[in-house]
Amino acid sequence: MNDPMLEQLVAGFVDESQEIRDRVVHQVLALEKADKVDGQSFEELARGLHTLKGSAATLGLSELADLAHRMEEVVLPLSGATGPLPARVADGVLRVLDVWMARLRAVAAKSEELPDLADSIALLQELDQPAAKSRPASEAPGKEPARKARSTKTEPAREAPALETDGPAAGDEATWRVGTRRVLALMREVERLRELRLRLEERRREMERALAQLSRLGILTETAEARALLMGVSRAVGADGEEASDIIASMEEGLKAISTLPVRTVLEPLRRSLRDLCKRSGKEAQLSVSGAELSLDRRVLEALQGALAHLLRNAIDHGIETPEERAARGKQREGALSVRVEQQGNTIFLEMSDDGRGLDAEQIREVALRKAIAPAEELSAMGTGQLHQLIFRPGFTTRDEVSEISGRGVGLDAVRNQVQALQGNVEVQSEPGRGARFILTMPAEMGSSPVVVVRCGEHRLGVPMVAVESSRMARAKDLQVGRTRVQLLHRDELVPVRDLGALLGFRQPEAPAEGQPLLVLKWQDRKLALGVDEVEGDRELVIRPMPVELRHLPAYQGAATLARGELVPIVRPDWLVNLERRGDAVLGSTRRALVVDDSLTARALHRTALESGGYLVHTASDARQALEQLRHSAYDVMVCDIGMPEMDGFQLTSAVRARPDLDAMPIILVSARESPAEGQRGAAVGADGFLSKRDCVSGRLVSEVAGAIARRKARV
Amino acid sequence: MKPVVRGPEPVAAEVKALLDRRAERARARPRLEEETVLWMAEFPVGEEQYAIPLETLRAAVPLKMVTPVPLSPPHVIGILRFQGQIISALSLASLLGGRGWREDPAVLLVVDPGVGRLVALDCEQIPKPVGIPAGLVEEARGRSKGAVSEIVLPGLRQLNLLDLRKLMDRRAATGRP
Repeated sequence: MNDPMLEQLVAGFVDESQEIRDRVVHQVLALEKADKVDGQSFEELARGLHTLKGSAATLGLSELADLAHRMEEVVLPLSGATGPLPARVADGVLRVLDVWMARLRAVAAKSEELPDLADSIALLQELDQPAAKSRPASEAPGKEPARKARSTKTEPAREAPALETDGPAAGDEATWRVGTRRVLALMREVERLRELRLRLEERRREMERALAQLSRLGILTETAEARALLMGVSRAVGADGEEASDIIASMEEGLKAISTLPVRTVLEPLRRSLRDLCKRSGKEAQLSVSGAELSLDRRVLEALQGALAHLLRNAIDHGIETPEERAARGKQREGALSVRVEQQGNTIFLEMSDDGRGLDAEQIREVALRKAIAPAEELSAMGTGQLHQLIFRPGFTTRDEVSEISGRGVGLDAVRNQVQALQGNVEVQSEPGRGARFILTMPAEMGSSPVVVVRCGEHRLGVPMVAVESSRMARAKDLQVGRTRVQLLHRDELVPVRDLGALLGFRQPEAPAEGQPLLVLKWQDRKLALGVDEVEGDRELVIRPMPVELRHLPAYQGAATLARGELVPIVRPDWLVNLERRGDAVLGSTRRALVVDDSLTARALHRTALESGGYLVHTASDARQALEQLRHSAYDVMVCDIGMPEMDGFQLTSAVRARPDLDAMPIILVSARESPAEGQRGAAVGADGFLSKRDCVSGRLVSEVAGAIARRKARV
Repeated sequence: MKPVVRGPEPVAAEVKALLDRRAERARARPRLEEETVLWMAEFPVGEEQYAIPLETLRAAVPLKMVTPVPLSPPHVIGILRFQGQIISALSLASLLGGRGWREDPAVLLVVDPGVGRLVALDCEQIPKPVGIPAGLVEEARGRSKGAVSEIVLPGLRQLNLLDLRKLMDRRAATGRP
């Protein structure tokens, strides 16, 4: 196949064939289960096979055309029969269809190793024998089905209808096949356009500010012309922005239509998988689906396909019992599996449940201990819900042997990873003997999710709304402050309290102050009251991945752009509620340093030096913040820049020295200049040391800090 | 004395062929390497001068556009939006192991280090373009296996040439500059 045009047609034919194959599989499964013949299903099955044959022939894929023709030969004589499609025929057609698709894909990929068709042909020949088709015909022997007349072995395959190709000559309803990459590139461009629209709005605000300033100057007559001009431009920019918004909304709507698919496209193949799994395991189960008509982002659905297949395998292998076992337990012989898809706002809920044996918490505990998945003391303290979550850990399996279906301990771990890659979450609920329910929660669109924006110290951060149960003020009467932990009495439940700033390592843990805002989070059956400084409100934000340099940080889902163009890191809810982080335990034994500098670079360099010297470093970008942090936290040393706006290093040192409780804390002042006068002035206001930035980069910071701490201690 | 106009002296055919070949060689002689100039963006880091190939420089933006990210490694000063992408802002002084720091940077250089993504590096001043003889650049790169190659320019002015890809690769591989 060296003709580029033909290659392109074959590539398109792969997608088209997949759709036809899915329809044929659906009809085979329906006919196999039907008590009564459904003529329409049969017609559709026959039509699908016929189209595969004709299209393959048109493209010169004669072996595939012939194979499709043979499948027709097996199926068509059964038209009009009253009973279900014989299981052997259904099995054979499904298996051959798989080989057919595999061969077509190999041809399209120009693979040198094409799947062999000999076995498939032999199978179909065997099925073509009258004994194989035990389904009785309802019609008179002489009355052949209409399609049978056209489908004889002598019929040249090329007589089938020509392949429907997509072309410019087609009418309005014609379809085009466009590469995913191109659509994604277009979506990115629309996202950029949205950012541009935000910048336009910012420009308009700036003009409004300039106008207000001009008005405040009081020279109204002299500036009348300029103000009128500015006002006109500002209005025009506003109108342009509105129009841009409309265009962006329309483009997004169009792209949404292109980039979404009905959920049934991933749910229907599960029926076939279920049938095969049941055959292999000797179990019986039926799948019911609700919400299949919902349309979701193609990228989400594609990513979910694997996860759903894993969950299905898991349900059949571990959940659903054998028919005999079920009968002995008073259950129906046939197990019930159900998939429910629902969209609430910007969140998709996908549930897969079964009525099988459920999860055995004690068995999970034993396996986790044996496989060293968690320490014994941690395991013994775990409740049922927490034990259930262990099944998502890498390498976890309750099976001692690997079965054909599962038992390798990679399935549920992979499910969790796939769902997390979609910024989602998976949890499991189970009752022993009554079944299990896996709940996958994901943002409805990759592009936009509701986020609660909060302020904490100098940082603005986002918390996904899907994890926020409520927000409230801290009240002393509802707080239980112990030596090691703080808990909040919230709706008759004790909820652990954590400070967001402490979790993110830029200030020390502390109990919430009276009236401090708390976000009550609920994630994976865990709750947490998160202390923040201010809740700014909820926004619909586009969450993008963090850059490569920060992608390893488990704390973040990504970052989003606020209306004025500022970036806000979005915190991962599962990271927040996971209170067993290792980092928290060691804080007590580490020396703490507070670095105060308005320069990001200076903070980065001081942090590098001090952390390499074994210090835990918190930072503040100005004197006001530093004083705020010193009000709540104790530090072993403060390293402070002299040249800061509003309140300089000398003033901050004086303010600190005015507080008797901070008298023992050494202060090192840092200056861009090597000025003895500044050193003397620093000493006069109570600083313990003075360094130039040149001294800092030459490595003197850590030794100076250690010396200052030692001198202070000696004085005490 | 009356001037006599003289034409080319008659020469033997072999001699003429030899002279023609010499002339051709002279015409074909490549230009001196020193004449080829590579354009670099030169900027100070502390008291030293650094340079990166001009074609790797995408933009210079104000440092205030950076959003700090708590828990990030010390050499990452934050993130910023650049042409629809979110990129990291890195402290060049920290990447260079705390080498050089005279005044607090106010500018970010958005650069393409050739690792498939853009990054921003902090910088004290907006860089200026400077032409450096290609021979000197090649010689310096040949001498150094690290991310920094030292070039001594005429007048004994020293310039540190940065290999951004090596700087990024080494940081990724060892976590150290």
